Amino acid sequence: MTTDICVVRLDDVRKEYGDTTALDGVSLEIRTGEAVAVMGPSGCGKSTLLNMIAGLDRPTSGSVRVHDEDLGRLNETKLALFRRHRIGMIFQFFNLLDDLPALENVTLAAQLTGTKAGPARKRAMELLDELGIADRRNAYPATLSGGERQRVAVARALMNRPALLLADEPTGALDSRAGEQVMDLLLDLNQIGQTLLIVTHDERLATRCASRVVELADGQITRERTLERA
Amino acid sequence: MSAVWRASRAAVKRRRVQTFVIGLVVLLSTTTIVVALALLQASSAPFDQAFAKQRGPHAIAVYDPAKVTDAQLAGARTGVTAAAGPFGQVTLDVREFSELGPPGLKTVVGRADPGGPVDRLNLWQGRWPSAPGEVALNRADPGPDNDGPPMDSAEITLGGKRYTVVGRAHSLGQTADVWVTPAQMTALRPTSAQMLYRFGGDVSTRTAVQNDLAAVTAGLPPGALTAMQPYLVVKGEVAEDIGVYVPFLATFGVLGLIVAVVIVGNVVSGAVVSGFRHIGILKALGFTPRQVVAVYLVMVSVPAVVGCVVGTAAGTLAAQPLLSDGFQGLGLDVGINVGVWIWVAGLIGVPALVALAAFVPAVRAHRLSAAEAISAGSSPRTGHGTRIQRRLAGVRLPRPVTLGLGMPFARPGRTLFTVVAVLLGVTTVTFATGLADSLTRISTLEDRSSGQIRVRPSDGQLRIGGDGESPAAAPPVTTRTDAQVEQLLRVLPDVARVAAVYGLPVPTIGQTQPLTANFVRGDYSSMGYQDELTAGRWMTGADQTVVPSQLMRERGLKIGDKLTLELGGRRAVLTVVGETMDGAPGPPGMFVDWSVLTALAPDRVVAPQELTYQVQLKPGGNVAAYVAAVMAADPALEAWDTAEISDFAVTVIGFSSVLSLLLSIVAALGVFNTVVLNVRERRRDLGMLKSIGMTPRQVVTMVLTSMTVVGVVGGVLGIPLGILAHRYILPAAADAARVAIPHAVLEVWQAPMLALMALAGVVIALLGALLPARGAARLTIAEVLHNE
Repeated sequence: MTTDICVVRLDDVRKEYGDTTALDGVSLEIRTGEAVAVMGPSGCGKSTLLNMIAGLDRPTSGSVRVHDEDLGRLNETKLALFRRHRIGMIFQFFNLLDDLPALENVTLAAQLTGTKAGPARKRAMELLDELGIADRRNAYPATLSGGERQRVAVARALMNRPALLLADEPTGALDSRAGEQVMDLLLDLNQIGQTLLIVTHDERLATRCASRVVELADGQITRERTLERA
Repeated sequence: MSAVWRASRAAVKRRRVQTFVIGLVVLLSTTTIVVALALLQASSAPFDQAFAKQRGPHAIAVYDPAKVTDAQLAGARTGVTAAAGPFGQVTLDVREFSELGPPGLKTVVGRADPGGPVDRLNLWQGRWPSAPGEVALNRADPGPDNDGPPMDSAEITLGGKRYTVVGRAHSLGQTADVWVTPAQMTALRPTSAQMLYRFGGDVSTRTAVQNDLAAVTAGLPPGALTAMQPYLVVKGEVAEDIGVYVPFLATFGVLGLIVAVVIVGNVVSGAVVSGFRHIGILKALGFTPRQVVAVYLVMVSVPAVVGCVVGTAAGTLAAQPLLSDGFQGLGLDVGINVGVWIWVAGLIGVPALVALAAFVPAVRAHRLSAAEAISAGSSPRTGHGTRIQRRLAGVRLPRPVTLGLGMPFARPGRTLFTVVAVLLGVTTVTFATGLADSLTRISTLEDRSSGQIRVRPSDGQLRIGGDGESPAAAPPVTTRTDAQVEQLLRVLPDVARVAAVYGLPVPTIGQTQPLTANFVRGDYSSMGYQDELTAGRWMTGADQTVVPSQLMRERGLKIGDKLTLELGGRRAVLTVVGETMDGAPGPPGMFVDWSVLTALAPDRVVAPQELTYQVQLKPGGNVAAYVAAVMAADPALEAWDTAEISDFAVTVIGFSSVLSLLLSIVAALGVFNTVVLNVRERRRDLGMLKSIGMTPRQVVTMVLTSMTVVGVVGGVLGIPLGILAHRYILPAAADAARVAIPHAVLEVWQAPMLALMALAGVVIALLGALLPARGAARLTIAEVLHNE
């Protein structure tokens, strides 16, 4: 499903926090339909790289382009709109709103775009159904299992049909069974054409879901390897 | 350095915004509390304070110098802690209206100076008499802003002789009307000797003071004491005068106290609750529960102590001019201070309140296990709040708005405190606005009825200037007759109405003292007095009278009463048909048609100097030009613009505005704090919302919406409370002043004004929420989401 269309292009990206260099001249391309895993030890710059691509942070130098949009040139509002329409994010700790039930957590992403409640709910129900948790739509996050919460988070991330799905340690807070389920889910998504960028410590997750692994150390890409998926 | 201190210091440093908010809220709340307590203190015992400051005499004793010597009087000191005298005293007749009031007998006392161990006079203008022919008058300081009409004469006739007024002093104990030098008193041949006493024993009742005095006079010759007056007589009179301030002061005082206490409680307890997660971490690190409580108490105490010290000083500074302005005209300003107990309340009471507010949630944290505390410190989840959020999700409004609408329900306790603060802020603003409007209406009514311009022909006497010095030359006396003056006033440009008023005490059958009748002629019926009617109707014939409410109460009159005036053997029967808020210029007097004066005293020739003329201009007429035209036409006519808001109105509007502003700021700070806490607790949620595309503007909208709910609820509930307070307190204040006010004066609440008032709550809430809302919009998503 991979094409030659470049979704993400990082050119010589450098990010400094005071005296600390988090990213040091990183260049990277991700093509449509590709599943890329970013791996490396703690503090190597994985999350910083993901934040750059999501428009959550700005590089000190270099450029980050997503769908030919130079994120460094966007103001906060335009970055928010960029995230809303182009990016879906999955977090290690799910980051669901605890005072909304599962269905409302999912619809929220669409409602921010101005989509009316009816169509938004219909789309959310479809996603929850596809992810196998439609029967838990009225449950609050506190009553959901870890795996269920992450599925709700995935549904929310897919709500606005993002060009790029970013996952930050998506199985990091899950037990092995729930982790397996999420891996399957990500794999399925990629197989139907969803471009993925996964930041993870988990070699199993990377080898199972990604077609390419980018290894980082001290803010630099030290190795890239292409994987043959089963 | 102990671990507790280290942790506390670190917490203070890390939470700079919270530390600043606690300090600022405590500062402003303490300021409010000090001002409020000072107002309450002033409204409860202004006389006692001023009296103590002046070392006023508990008893004024008058002796017969023929029966007792000065040495005997000086030696009689049983139970006396301080005494002054003997001073020579004589009673002299004043046969003219003067600044001392209507004609009558005046007490003249010879004193070498205004100081001494008892009755330390406030010599507020000019100097003390030092030569024969010089006098000082007993008058309260009207204040620096009160110029008033040119009533003050540099001379006064006492017992048929002219004296030069060289100073004005005030004796709260009313020990004399006029003071002269002892040498002058000797020349006047004093008929009595005055002694002023302060007692060490019980002085709480008239009988107690009489007993104290009896102990003093026990050793003196029989019959030596000819008269005595306990200070309680004067105190009773003053209490009536100041009664008008009490309801206003007490209302603002109570409102200020409640708002301050609510806000401090909310801010401090909120700070501790929001720190539960930190508390859990401290416990996990090995801090004992007591150490954890100590960390939090120290953390909130540091800014609170700074705030309350600065707030006490600021409150003292803010209260002083309010109190002075409020009581200066009554001569009570000298003793009105912010008492020591108020400082104690500010410096000890506020920190105690802070400690209590922090202690309650800290004790809760003390009981929680480390894991529970960490869990409780995350964003709040309440069943009620989640149900409401769920329902709001289906509402057809932009999602940031519905999310904002649900936010207040996540922390119902905190929201309730915030609503109460806004509610009381709106109540204060509503009450103060209504009060200002009513007082302005009263002033407008009075201005209208007093005719825009007042004219009084000069009597040729010297006038005292603002600095107490007399001009070199006396003004001329008009050569015009009463009728000619009125004719002149009627022909000047822009004139619409002219009325003449002649006040005269007239013996009235059935009344122990003469009633002042204001004989009126000209266009008085259409000059606005009718708008001041508080009961009954306006006069339709010469056999009818309308009486000011103060006179009605003083004389026990009611509508329908018949009054028989008697002058020079002639009688006129008048029926009381109406009551007005106020009367014509001068002492309270009933309105009587001029024809009644003609009937009672057909031969009486009224000099123009005895009258006051009131003039109303056509719409758009130039008052200043008319005043100038009068003076140009006849320099002996004094004319002035009466369109001034009374000092009382200015004072009340002044302090109500200051307190409204203060309470609104404190309420807005309460909102500010609530939003800061809410945003901190919901950082993760906000980060997530931003990560899925919520724009900064949507974040601001969401946060402001949450506080708009608080503002609307506070406004909707606060307005009726403010109106209720206005409806009850203004008539109560008028009642205390022994006057009635027209109902129309209370009808200040119109739809546009109510809409503005409703906005007050929203404005308070939005002002408080704006900064933290913008801060929320600027949250760094990556930092928030990766700090989990």
